[in-house]
Amino acid sequence: MNNHFLQNLAKDFRTFLRSPGLLITTSVALVLLLLFIVFPIGAVLLKSFTVTYPIVTVSSQNKVSHRADSETGVTQKILASLKPVQGVVDIESTTEEKSSLIIVRFQKNWDDLRGLNDIKRALGRHKEELDQVIEKITIRMGKKTFNSLATYGEFFSKKYYYGALRNSLALATTSTALIVLIAFVIAYLGLNGPAGVRAPLRVLTLLPLIAPPFIFSLSLILIGGKQGFITKGLHLHFNIYGWPGVIIAQVITFLPLGYLMIENVLRSLNPNLDEAASDMGATPVEILFRITIPLAAPGILKAALLVFICSIADFGNPMLIGGNVSFLATDAYLLWTSENNLEMAAVFCIFLIIPSMIVFVLHEYILRGKMYTTIGGKPQQVEKRKISLKIFYPMMGIAVPVSLVIILCFGMIFLGAFTKILMVNNTFTLEHFETPNGIRSLLTSLKFALGAAMIAPIIGVTLSYILVRKRIPLKKLLESIALLGFAVPGTVMGVGYILFFNSPPLKLTGTFLIMILNEAFRNLSVGLEAGVSKLHQLDVAIEEAAINMGASTFQTFVRIVLPLISSALVAGFIYTFMVGMIAVSAVIFLISPGNYLASIYILNVAEEGFLGMACAISIMLIAVVLACLGALKMLSRYTKIAIFARGY
Amino acid sequence: MTMGGDSPILELRNIIKSFGSLVAVNHVSFSLDRGRLVTFLGPSGCGKTTLLRVVSGFAEPDEGEVILDGQNVTRKPPNARDTAMVFQNYALFPHMTVAQNIGFGMKIRKKSREEIDSEVKRLLALVKMEGLGERRPHELSGGQQQRVALARALSLHPKILLLDEPLSNLDANLRINMREEIRRLQRRLGLTIIFVTHDQEEAMSISDLLVVMDQGVVKQIGSPTEIYEKPADEFVANFIGHINFFSGEIVALSGEEMNLQIAQGGLRVKKPSFPVSPNDKVKLVVRPESINLVDAGKEKGRVENMIEGRIEVAMYIGSIIRYTIRSGEQIIYVDRSDPEHAGIFQEGSRVGLILKKEIHMFKV
Repeated sequence: MNNHFLQNLAKDFRTFLRSPGLLITTSVALVLLLLFIVFPIGAVLLKSFTVTYPIVTVSSQNKVSHRADSETGVTQKILASLKPVQGVVDIESTTEEKSSLIIVRFQKNWDDLRGLNDIKRALGRHKEELDQVIEKITIRMGKKTFNSLATYGEFFSKKYYYGALRNSLALATTSTALIVLIAFVIAYLGLNGPAGVRAPLRVLTLLPLIAPPFIFSLSLILIGGKQGFITKGLHLHFNIYGWPGVIIAQVITFLPLGYLMIENVLRSLNPNLDEAASDMGATPVEILFRITIPLAAPGILKAALLVFICSIADFGNPMLIGGNVSFLATDAYLLWTSENNLEMAAVFCIFLIIPSMIVFVLHEYILRGKMYTTIGGKPQQVEKRKISLKIFYPMMGIAVPVSLVIILCFGMIFLGAFTKILMVNNTFTLEHFETPNGIRSLLTSLKFALGAAMIAPIIGVTLSYILVRKRIPLKKLLESIALLGFAVPGTVMGVGYILFFNSPPLKLTGTFLIMILNEAFRNLSVGLEAGVSKLHQLDVAIEEAAINMGASTFQTFVRIVLPLISSALVAGFIYTFMVGMIAVSAVIFLISPGNYLASIYILNVAEEGFLGMACAISIMLIAVVLACLGALKMLSRYTKIAIFARGY
Repeated sequence: MTMGGDSPILELRNIIKSFGSLVAVNHVSFSLDRGRLVTFLGPSGCGKTTLLRVVSGFAEPDEGEVILDGQNVTRKPPNARDTAMVFQNYALFPHMTVAQNIGFGMKIRKKSREEIDSEVKRLLALVKMEGLGERRPHELSGGQQQRVALARALSLHPKILLLDEPLSNLDANLRINMREEIRRLQRRLGLTIIFVTHDQEEAMSISDLLVVMDQGVVKQIGSPTEIYEKPADEFVANFIGHINFFSGEIVALSGEEMNLQIAQGGLRVKKPSFPVSPNDKVKLVVRPESINLVDAGKEKGRVENMIEGRIEVAMYIGSIIRYTIRSGEQIIYVDRSDPEHAGIFQEGSRVGLILKKEIHMFKV
């Protein structure tokens, strides 16, 4: 079997090397994927296994010439004077003929300037004594990095650190469970409920898609914060910050994702199965629990895994409404900004990656092909039967409150944007919209999102063609790498980019380009997956016909394949654009002073307490996104290109 | 069983079912006796499947009544009716084993585990699937899936078994085997079956009774022989097998016979069952196999009811040879069996087509 694998690999390589075009394209793709996905993640991994200590080096030119004299006369004297300095962990010394070098290592996170001064002072106290034997002395501070598991040790020894892991896992599990339940209920009602209920539920559930991902935290603060609508209105001593806030905000934020996936699963179930069960005497409730749910289970599990990844990677909500509870994704950022502790940030990243990777592998490989939706030929069209009230009422009991909360959240954003200070001074005002910085950040966001949306689908779709149609060696590996950018939480990619692109030869941090590249490579998978599924629907014979007519592989790709799978390109474009407009988690590590993005600006403004302005910019942001989508729709009508595939 | 053996097991009274502006089933009435196999036959979109779904309860008729074994079940949901359906795509539950699929209905009815087990075993043997109970549906071939679907439907001892194009997903040979098997099973167990198909050969070979439908309307109800030999109208004639039409006008009546004029000449045939008088226009329906072919030159003037034509195509299909013959403006198909014995006419040769004295016809 192994031998077989190797033979295949060798064969793949031989055919591969024979076509130069494919070789070049694949190599370029591979290099790009390595540079912008693999290496940054690798940098995080390496960083997590290192510890950096502040050090001070004392080097001296000695008057004493013999080596042994130098040792006892100078080095030992200096060492003796350094003994009482605080915070010292280790002192190394080397002595040469006429010089000594002493490296003083301080505790991790020790204030290095203080260490330097302490050492200067300590040596100053013995100045007269030392002057006799030393010609010149230089004292420098610096850093020294060791390979070590110490950061991991520290992680597990402090509750503040490992608590973040526990909290993130607990949050993701809770949110996912709630979202799956609610999404299933709404998807079920949206397909089987009375006509009057279907459309409103669908629209309301999808509404959060267009909003920046933390907007619900914002409105929850307006509702239940210290000055909140309900808290203040009802004189409650209730605090939305922390667990309740984050969970509610995440449920609303990621509900559309869960809903779209589960609805798709339910829709693709063969309706004749329900009928067969009904024919066998099963009641609607029995059908729901014995047929529908078991059949949808693999699909639901898939949706749950994706929601889990999103929840654990979520940045904005924990940041805004997390209160004192620490979570991995946001605390990694705080560790970097407030302590410059990139090592611990890297360890946090590792603990973000591990659950995401486990989930991702489950999702991609174990559940693949476990779907029950494709078995059994084409289903017949069926007449929808009225939903049983025994199902309808309990489900509405879940769907209605959720819908109300969504409406309330959106409403609060509007109220917040158009009043001076909501609940304090409720006069109407437009002053929150007069924010030059906010508007500038909107323009930056637009440039950013468009830039990323130009790059991502092209690479993704090209890759999908290579992966589906060409025999190339180690295909699976290439595909996994491309999907990695999507699976790995944004925080990890942010930290990775800081680490990897901070030094020559690729010193790109601080540039606008690196932000765009980061966003693009994190969203490759959408164009890739869309392209793959489109290509699977496309008969190879069409391409063979083109080649048969004398077209080259490249010509076939450009003239035949691309036009036919253009919807995948467009899907990738729209997705990347929308995600780019509201991106926070990875780019927040990469923004430079001139390049503030609207979403991040909103976050900052909100954190500083200017909730009205945050609401106002959010509304403008939503308006811009909607306007762009509208423009695209017009364009699609004009060009007759199907832009809006289902689900986008 | 309460109503005794002679009353019909199923009665459809004036069923109407429409989807929007499309009337899928239009005033359909018919009754079915116990132990018979009836086929709803018609082209796709003729309403046969909708009618079946009305019987099973998946579609509620706009008007009319469904009487099952003396009980009005029109407004009863499928799970409260004593009918069992075999779906076109079998609709086997993919998350259950074969045995669980077959036992599902009994489980829903809270039968004991032992009872279910033994019944499942019996049913598996009935459809010749012994030992495959632990397989999953996707591990079975199309034919096997079909058998499981059949066994599952039989598990509830339904008053009527409904088969919705059950053989359409199988390949040709298997289709013939399965339909024979279904017929055997039906006879052995005395099942009442409604079978829906668009395949006229399948319908002819399996049914006691055919219900031919078109555009929501029942065109003819009858035994396969009746439908084949005496189609009620042009649609039925056309739909069941190959057919030749001749438009004719009655010239004269004499006793049991009458003289007809068709485009190719005069004919003398038996009078039809309906009353006729001279100058009536009729349409003659002649099956390709009931036309005899002779050498036109030799037999001219010597035989009655002969028209002339020239052979355009002679297609050898093994058991028969099919001639496409031009006669005047008309193309006529003639099938001759046993070509070895009868001899083969060459393409281009002139032939005489001899029509029988007894010809099925209807008024235009």
